[in-house]
Amino acid sequence: MVTLSKWRFSKWSEKLFGTPRLEPLVSFSFLFPIIYLVLFLIVPVLVMLGNAFDYNGHLSLYWFKSLTMRYYFNPLHPSGYLFKKTAEGVYYFYGWDFGVILNSIIVSLSVMGLTTLLGTIFAFVMARYDFPGKNIVRILLFVPLLVTPFVNIVIIQKMFSPGGLIDWIFYNKLHILPHPIWLDGLIGVIVAQTMTYYPMVYLNAYASFINIDPSLEEQAENLGSRGFHLFRTVTFPLALPGIAAGAVLVGIFSLEDLAAPIVFQGAPIARKLMSFQIYSAFTSPIGLIGTPQLSALALVMLGVSLVLFFSIRAYVGRKQYSMLSKGGRWNPRVSKPKWWQAIIIYLLVIPTILLTIFPQIGVVLLAFSKRWYSTWPQGFTLENIKAVVTQPGVTRVIMNSLTYSTAAIVIILILSLTSAYAVNRFRKAKLAPVLDSLSTIPIAVSGIVIAMSYFVFFSKVPPFKNIPSLNPLNLLKFNPAFLLILAYSIRRLPFAARSISAGMQQVHVSLEEAAINLGAKRWKAVTGILMPMIVLNVLGGAMLSFVYCMSETSVGITLGHMNPTYMPITAKMKELISSSVGSAHLAAGLGVFLMAIQIAAIVLANLITKQRTSFIGVT
Amino acid sequence: MVEVRLENIVKRFEGTTALKGISLRIHEGELFTLLGPSGCGKSTTLRIIAGLEFPDEGEIYFGGERVTYLPSNVRRAVMVFQNYALWPHMSVFDNIAYGLKLKKMPKEEIAKKVEWALELVKLKGFENRYPTQLSGGQQQRVAIARALVVEPRVLLLDEPLSNLDAKLRLEMRSEIRRIQRELGITVIYVTHDQEEAMAISDRIAVMNVGTVEQVGTPKEIYEEPKTEFVASFMGKTNVIPARVVDRAGDRVAVEFGSVRLDGLRYTGDSDEVVVVIRPERIRIAPGENTVSLRGKVDLVEYYGFFVEIIGIFDEHRIIARLMSDKGLEKFKPGSDITFYVDRDDIIVLPKQQI
Repeated sequence: MVTLSKWRFSKWSEKLFGTPRLEPLVSFSFLFPIIYLVLFLIVPVLVMLGNAFDYNGHLSLYWFKSLTMRYYFNPLHPSGYLFKKTAEGVYYFYGWDFGVILNSIIVSLSVMGLTTLLGTIFAFVMARYDFPGKNIVRILLFVPLLVTPFVNIVIIQKMFSPGGLIDWIFYNKLHILPHPIWLDGLIGVIVAQTMTYYPMVYLNAYASFINIDPSLEEQAENLGSRGFHLFRTVTFPLALPGIAAGAVLVGIFSLEDLAAPIVFQGAPIARKLMSFQIYSAFTSPIGLIGTPQLSALALVMLGVSLVLFFSIRAYVGRKQYSMLSKGGRWNPRVSKPKWWQAIIIYLLVIPTILLTIFPQIGVVLLAFSKRWYSTWPQGFTLENIKAVVTQPGVTRVIMNSLTYSTAAIVIILILSLTSAYAVNRFRKAKLAPVLDSLSTIPIAVSGIVIAMSYFVFFSKVPPFKNIPSLNPLNLLKFNPAFLLILAYSIRRLPFAARSISAGMQQVHVSLEEAAINLGAKRWKAVTGILMPMIVLNVLGGAMLSFVYCMSETSVGITLGHMNPTYMPITAKMKELISSSVGSAHLAAGLGVFLMAIQIAAIVLANLITKQRTSFIGVT
Repeated sequence: MVEVRLENIVKRFEGTTALKGISLRIHEGELFTLLGPSGCGKSTTLRIIAGLEFPDEGEIYFGGERVTYLPSNVRRAVMVFQNYALWPHMSVFDNIAYGLKLKKMPKEEIAKKVEWALELVKLKGFENRYPTQLSGGQQQRVAIARALVVEPRVLLLDEPLSNLDAKLRLEMRSEIRRIQRELGITVIYVTHDQEEAMAISDRIAVMNVGTVEQVGTPKEIYEEPKTEFVASFMGKTNVIPARVVDRAGDRVAVEFGSVRLDGLRYTGDSDEVVVVIRPERIRIAPGENTVSLRGKVDLVEYYGFFVEIIGIFDEHRIIARLMSDKGLEKFKPGSDITFYVDRDDIIVLPKQQI
């Protein structure tokens, strides 16, 4: 006779893990991701931030106070100018300088505003109108999603320089502009980031418009609302949570972006951004990395992203109503545009879309050309593509990136499978909300903050500082592989975690309970029932995280660049675009290679999941 | 097959007590139903018997064996889930064979057992279909076959008919009854539908906010409710708040509004009571031992073979259910009417805080 007494039950197991009996699989699912994220995200960031409060060995706000000096914080007497007319009659846009902190916030807010405008309009047109050529536009809208670190910004810089594409079209050919324009400095950064990040708002807004129950709008029409009133009172409020989530993500990405400030750094004001300031320590003597003042600045930057991140989480959490109604017939609300709407679509919307995809086209042109001085590139060549495959210095960085990304993906899969299982299946556990927050927080911690904190952590904290290959201060022996894999696995975790978590949510828990109830052990129920049902989400998420690992910038160009033998693709690209004439073409070659990987991943993901938006983890 | 005994089961969920000390004895080979509104704790009770949840206090016995903390996968208390929980990536055969394969049974034996189970639920020939290719009723049968094939000590059914349409519901109801009788197995059945519970059960436990209000045969529960809740939950009935105004032995007189009913059986202490009158026990002609209620007709509802007349008696609405008959046409809204009820058909119960 089997008798099991209560002593096998543990109150704290039930509290922490949600299982009355301590189960190895469940406790591992909670503890592994929590320990990993605490050890390699929270602790390093805290160690670095400890710096910020340390003034000559005392606890002090000295370094935060130092951030109120004019260089960092100058709200009242900004220097700089929005634009001026040069001797050649060109209108040169530059931007006001309110100090590093305010500049970053202003740029971030401007980019949020502009991307929201572009993304929402494009999404509304695509979701609600049926016009000839729509399918081509749909494909075109995928192009800006392709990540080509640095080189797409180089193209944007060319587009908006004197003699660039914009002047050529609007000044030379169409005569819409009275003078040539030149966007540089912070204005250049804002435009570059807007063109890079607007697809995130577009995809969110598109999904939101598509997911609105048509009967909600039909009911409003039925009660007499129409046109813009209908949009303002029903459609837009229902789509707002999705749009806002996209916009906030863009805001965070803009804050931490390094590509645009680095490309535009010829204009000194573009360096006066928080991300660039922290980054620039890595290009100066090694002792300057992670100084207390920069740590304080990093804390301010982290604070701004965390405020953005948690406010949107709270807001979206309260406004989950797009799925409120159920049943009935789902008649998608797609209509033919009226004549004036058609004019807007063909003369305004589509040309704007074409301009926003030009950077990616430009990267391809750059990769296949010998020279690019004026509007268009000159001299066709295959040399750059050939170099990507044959030149040892280039193939080595590709192999490095592939190795790091593959290793990171293995970790990411274990992390996201365990955390998704723990959080979705044991909601009552006290650790569930902790793990839930921990596993999404990497979105809000910018790469450059991770890079700097790893530098401090691995050079100061034992046992790591005693291992030559892990200590970045050991210039000869340091190998960034381990640090890069850690950084990739944490920074790109949310993409796979979200996809896998979405899959688990769709599998009703009773399917596993039924297996256990029929005699299966938990391990068997998970591997035999749950896993086969979410295998597509796992594959999709893994591919998504993989391509974003390949194009990771912030950590790659800082820690990853400290020992050139082991640097990843992005560090090489950054090196190329900032060195001698002609190297940008090779960087573009690498950009084309990255695009090819991403396109392959999209096609593969579409083939296996048959879900168009599955490629993008942001919904 | 086994007797199931619950002793003082208490289950708490963050802040609320879902079960406040449930004790039940479910006989071997009986079909026992847990009946109650949503949130009463009936599904939690079932999950505790299945071993999918564990009680904070109390004990569960299967026959002489204490199973309170026995894990679900070795307890052999098999549940048929409300949503059937069929695995969509497995064929009907694989779904049913799952529990047998876990026991490492030889292939031929598994095939034989699955065939037996499919025959039992009348689904022979469906082995190679997938769950998505089956209708709701067929899925239900597969779920039952999958549970029965492992020879459970007790079969647990959680709202098994709630996802079926009305016609199938009746069909599956008698199917479940047939299979239970054929195998003589102990079945614990959860539902919120009192009609379903009465039709299918040997005995019923009526549950309300984490407690058992009454246990009995369907007839006992219906005819002799012990509490106001049971009386009002079991079908459409008249529950009228009243006051005891006179007592003589086990007989009392009660009043509501200006209506006075005397000679009713009541032994409770409280003077605050409810008067329970089943609609079908009301007549429109006096009898030997009847009390009368004089009022006006409010509404007449025609249901085919019976008619319901709703009368107003001093602001209290009382429903009478009468066989459709000639002579009822004279009752129109507003016309006078007198209801007659046999004194012994009137139940007086202490008023309950619900």
